[in-house]
Amino acid sequence: MPEHVLVLINVSPGATLRDADREALGAARALAAARGVPVACALIGHEVAAAAAEAAERGADRVLTADAPSLVPFAGERFLPVAADAIRVAEARIVLVPRGPDLLEFVPRLAARLDGASVIGVVAVRAEEGDVTAVATAFGGAAHAVYRFRAPGPRVLALAPAVAEAPERVAGRTVTPEPLTVSDVLPRVEVVTPAAPLEGPRLEDARVVVSGGRGLGAADRYALIRELAAALGGMAGASRAIVDDAWASPAQQVGLTGKIVTPDLYFAIGISGASQHMAGCSNARCLVAVNTDPQAPIFRYAHYGIVGDCLEVLPELIRIAGQSGEPKA
Amino acid sequence: MHIVVCAKRVLDPDGVNGYALWGRLKVDDSGRAFDTGGTVAQIINAYDEQALEAALRMRDAGAECRITVVTVGGEDAGDVLKRCVAMGADHAIHVVDSEARADGFRVAAIVAALVRDLGDVDLVLCGRQGSDYDQGTLPGALAEALDAALVTMAAGVAVDGDTAIQVRRAVPNGEEVVRAQLPAVVSVSNELGQARYPSSRGMLAARRTPPERRAASDLLAGREPGGVELVQLVVPDVQGHCEIVDGADAAAKAAGLMARLRERGLLHA
Ligand SMILES: Cc1cc2nc3c(=O)[nH]c(=O)nc-3n(C[C@H](O)[C@H](O)[C@H](O)COP(=O)(O)OP(=O)(O)OC[C@H]3O[C@@H](n4cnc5c(N)ncnc54)[C@H](O)[C@@H]3O)c2cc1C
Repeated sequence: MPEHVLVLINVSPGATLRDADREALGAARALAAARGVPVACALIGHEVAAAAAEAAERGADRVLTADAPSLVPFAGERFLPVAADAIRVAEARIVLVPRGPDLLEFVPRLAARLDGASVIGVVAVRAEEGDVTAVATAFGGAAHAVYRFRAPGPRVLALAPAVAEAPERVAGRTVTPEPLTVSDVLPRVEVVTPAAPLEGPRLEDARVVVSGGRGLGAADRYALIRELAAALGGMAGASRAIVDDAWASPAQQVGLTGKIVTPDLYFAIGISGASQHMAGCSNARCLVAVNTDPQAPIFRYAHYGIVGDCLEVLPELIRIAGQSGEPKA
Repeated sequence: MHIVVCAKRVLDPDGVNGYALWGRLKVDDSGRAFDTGGTVAQIINAYDEQALEAALRMRDAGAECRITVVTVGGEDAGDVLKRCVAMGADHAIHVVDSEARADGFRVAAIVAALVRDLGDVDLVLCGRQGSDYDQGTLPGALAEALDAALVTMAAGVAVDGDTAIQVRRAVPNGEEVVRAQLPAVVSVSNELGQARYPSSRGMLAARRTPPERRAASDLLAGREPGGVELVQLVVPDVQGHCEIVDGADAAAKAAGLMARLRERGLLHA
């Protein structure tokens, strides 16, 4: 197989592609065009047929699949050899990885295994002189760092949100999947006590997110954030400041070290707008800020703002949201 | 058990935020550093401090262990080691290397060479990522170089017999517990909690125990590993087009805002 730009996707059982996967395919097509090579997409998990079909419809020229119960739930040491096999089969120099919760567990190690290098949080990839440079967030998003590659092996790039558009879906475009090798791995890390199963909707998928910060002033007022979120049919998020203070749970943290959300509508209430928080929400389609301080940095990112005390504004927002009938699904 | 903790120094993120928040962050003439007139301190990466805290808690819990802190970097990078010894590390090693900078792959190769040289290391603890470049390269690349088990996002570490550890991990839907075979590389996240402050006895000890210095070139024996090179820092523009919705009181402001959101189709009428 000649060189392909490879997209490496970890698929949940039976799932189609996620937005992040589709964006990665879009980015791969642009890079592949610049390098004059085709796109390959590896789908790794169990029951990956739906995702594989969609990858073909969204422009993958080769589809590589690893479909085995042993690949679920995700474990770095089982995923890694399969991913390395995909890179070898696709003769990939450039490997794109969609954002996800497990990047730190496999991206740098995968790059190191193949004598390559990785960059995480990539906001732009530039094709240059037969190679690429990667622009990635640094200092929590306060800056962008431009990296050149020195390693001889593949460049593994984990993408930030909105690096590219999802390619149009061409119904009926099919590619016959080629199976990857899933070898037995002697596990060195075993789960003793699993986390509670993921139930209900995920913050990452919510179309409306209402987040509260230290400006709420006290733990019990976080209830107002939940109320507004519920009235808008959305979910409640939080800044790290109030997660650290246990006003909200770690699962609700938005930001660099929390969840990255991409809703249509994001409320930042009593949140200052530190770059590490914005790293998790700056790709919201519409961002609303409520803050007592008219100079608060959050207003530099917001589309709409209210300068005022959130304890006065929140009950009004809840009242109006409650009146306006069914929220957007 | 011999535990190595990797620590590096970073620009104080609160200091950088102070500039960024007000739109005053600038890049200097080198193109690779901020122009803050030296007003932002270099401190220990908070995640690395928590990695050391994880090791100290293992010792507090009765594990018999020796704790060595390692930093890789230029001449003045060794500053952070003093604090680590004051917190309770037994030994500190500064591997002098002026090339490493923002290249976690090079640092991983150097630390791997050091760990092999030390010979008896069972466990390496790292912070989950540097708060400067946010890459999180070191733990994974180091585990690969050492052919060791890798556990990321640790919120707590405990020994489990002679050949394994148990790690509490922060995962998207809460916490899980895993058992990892030694040797292992574990990266520690902020869920571990606050690191201890150095004691005054510790600070005295730190003054008496200067870090051991090693040269990266000796450890690398002619190899020049490198993954990435930072060529430029850029401060991105922030779109500042905020419409402030005003009104006589909170109710009027709230009504004005909700009307605009409805107009834009972001709410149902
Ligand atoms: C390595 C690293 C990683 C980080 N990761 C994250 C992350 O993932 N997510 C995250 O959020 N943070 C993260 N942080 C922390 C981040 O830098 C900020 O400290 C944090 O986001 C601040 O939270 P806040 O906005 O709630 O609090 P503050 O910064 O204290 O802001 C409170 C705001 O509330 C306003 N206010 C006060 N009273 C009222 C009132 N009555 N009504 C309305 N407004 C009011 C104030 O004007 C102020 O703007 C990280 C930091 C580091 C160093």
